[in-house]
Amino acid sequence: MPDVMVRAEDIRKSFGQLEVLKGISFTLERGHVLSIIGPSGSGKSTLLRIITQLEKADGGTLEIAGERLFEDALYVPLASQRRIARYTGLVFQSFNLFPHFSVLRNITEAQRAVLGRSKAEAEEKAYSLLDRMSLADKAKSYPCQLSGGQMQRVSIARALALDPQVLFFDEPTSALDPELTREILSVIRSLAEERMTMVVVTHEMAFARAISDRCIFMEGGLVIEEGVPEEVFDHPQMERTKRFVQSFSQE
Amino acid sequence: MLEGTLTSLQIFFLTLLFSLPLGFVVARGRMSGNRIVRSLVNLYIQIMRGTPLILQLIFVYFAPYYLIGVSYDRFTAVIVAFVLNYSAYFAEIYRSGLQSIDKGQWEACHVLGFSKAHSFFFIILPQVVKRILPALGNEVVTLVKDTALAQTIGVSELFRVAQNASSRMFSTMPIFVAGLFYFVMNYVVSKLFDLFEHKLDYYR
Repeated sequence: MPDVMVRAEDIRKSFGQLEVLKGISFTLERGHVLSIIGPSGSGKSTLLRIITQLEKADGGTLEIAGERLFEDALYVPLASQRRIARYTGLVFQSFNLFPHFSVLRNITEAQRAVLGRSKAEAEEKAYSLLDRMSLADKAKSYPCQLSGGQMQRVSIARALALDPQVLFFDEPTSALDPELTREILSVIRSLAEERMTMVVVTHEMAFARAISDRCIFMEGGLVIEEGVPEEVFDHPQMERTKRFVQSFSQE
Repeated sequence: MLEGTLTSLQIFFLTLLFSLPLGFVVARGRMSGNRIVRSLVNLYIQIMRGTPLILQLIFVYFAPYYLIGVSYDRFTAVIVAFVLNYSAYFAEIYRSGLQSIDKGQWEACHVLGFSKAHSFFFIILPQVVKRILPALGNEVVTLVKDTALAQTIGVSELFRVAQNASSRMFSTMPIFVAGLFYFVMNYVVSKLFDLFEHKLDYYR
């Protein structure tokens, strides 16, 4: 098993004239948690979307679990892309659960259609995940009957059901109130304790500081500062990072 | 009158049979990435929606005769005209439904690794159907009444037969009976749509 789970080098992306990522590099070790902080529009989400293959990069090199997805923006063949996609999972800010499926089927559908697991196998997996998310009694409910926090826990279970090697969270609590936010953060914290490799884009500074092994501060499509959380949050080298972190601690 | 009723029902069911699926093809063309395809399909929809169905019936039946000297079965012409017309309306309904689905649904499908076909048929389409049912019901009810236009090119559907009977009998009774048929037919159609909508009420 490779020890480096994600290796990104000089990743670039433009939307028309707008250069959203101007060369992002970082590495993430297996079992580590990386948090990405930064103001809105800094390119954090776009970076996640490139790694999870919702967008194509215009430049740079990316390796996931030791396998190359693209080099100098040249992608590997489609079959390899799909295989590599199975290493990653993504949890959306807006959950994106399937409203017409029960909670159970939301979690079993991809296991069956994509991984070819049997119904019994997929349901067993789903129930054990729901149990971990304290949602065992909601298996037969529909998303519209759940609270935001419950929906987000289902969507985390949905992603985990496919056994990703690295899980990405795109502002997982931004659509939730403070109480529900705590609910989700404690789930992510317990995953971190189990050494799940994760990348979390978040505005929850205290949380990012507490759970991550490394932290990246992004702005304007660039990594402004990178390091262990103590460095980035307590002793930022850059003036811009200082101001950003301070604006949060004043809250 | 029975034969006329059967003709009307035939027009109704055959139109639905062909135009419901054809509408999907048209909707795809309308949303195509190719600009030429998109504008051609757009023009077709504009013509179908912008001119009277009665005129389209006449055109479809007589145009081949005047252009290349071929004439064909009147009933076939009715079906062709109705299918062309209703496909355009259905296409617009499908398009509105498809475009109302949140982009995040497609993205979730993609991230989970579903194939395009699986995403469409199992995730997107069921949600589209739920959203377009009211508009679809509206259109189907209109179709029941539109079948009366087939008489324009001499197809003896229910209403034409009723009119003939009326003048033969010096009575408005047959027309009234025909009206009752349309009403009952549409009552059934509406109830079916209500039932279907109710079945899909389990989620939002």
